[in-house]
Amino acid sequence: MMLAFLMLGALAVAGGLLTIGARNAVHAALGLVVTLLSVAGLFATLSASFLAATQVIVYAGAIMVLFLFVIMLLSATQPITERDPVPLVWVAAGIGGTLLASAFAVLALTYRDPVANAAQAQAALRGGSAGAVGEVLLTRFLLPFEAVSVLLLVAIVGSVALVQRPTPEPDRVAELERVRRERELQPAPELARKGRTIKRRQA
Amino acid sequence: MVPTSYYLALSGVLFALGMIGILTRRTAIMMFLSVELMLNAANLALVAFARSWGDLTGQTAVFIVMTLAAAEVAIGLAIIVAIFRKRETTNVDQLAALKG
Repeated sequence: MMLAFLMLGALAVAGGLLTIGARNAVHAALGLVVTLLSVAGLFATLSASFLAATQVIVYAGAIMVLFLFVIMLLSATQPITERDPVPLVWVAAGIGGTLLASAFAVLALTYRDPVANAAQAQAALRGGSAGAVGEVLLTRFLLPFEAVSVLLLVAIVGSVALVQRPTPEPDRVAELERVRRERELQPAPELARKGRTIKRRQA
Repeated sequence: MVPTSYYLALSGVLFALGMIGILTRRTAIMMFLSVELMLNAANLALVAFARSWGDLTGQTAVFIVMTLAAAEVAIGLAIIVAIFRKRETTNVDQLAALKG
């Protein structure tokens, strides 16, 4: 058990380092996949089998595929060559991160289990099976569960609405074309001024 | 049985790694990946606490957090795609039009 924890923990940290350190965005995403899969393994050692499966299917599967798609869509794979505008940001962030991690470690290592009999507490989880988690989810947490389903619906509609290109209605296309031609023939003074402003901004 | 505190320490290390990533990377997608790392660290701590207390509430919370993360990723990546179409960049230093 301890050996599994150490191996999975080392893998998770290595994946995290790759995520934050890789110059190529695809490599960083793959590092995060390693971390997510190791965390799924850690869930399994914590007797949370349903969450381990969900982590692999939803996180390492669906969410990371979405990430990789967007990285390739935006062709953001090229390494960033320009200099960082903030001086010493890696040093400052490294010191801050080390301090945060040590604070967490001190807090964690002084933590004492509230239940005297650890084995009994673990038995109460019933292995974290889908049945056990679903029972709690659909009785005590029914309202949050339903709220989350509404949130997912909003997210679907919102993401589709965000990425669609604005398309004029078909019966208005001819009219818009006529208006555009008229404007080209005689530019209104305020429109011309606006054009100059835009040009100046781009310069 | 591995003590709960070891899991909590590992979770703290992963969270700190995510924080370093957010502070140092300058493209929106890489910052997003770091946010996912931090969310996972928090999830790990929640599951460790669930075992420590012998209560399934922690695992239920993790399930809801995962759903929220999926919604967040869908919306966030849509926003990033929309910004990239307009500005041809996702570098947050160049997207500072609203900076006070």
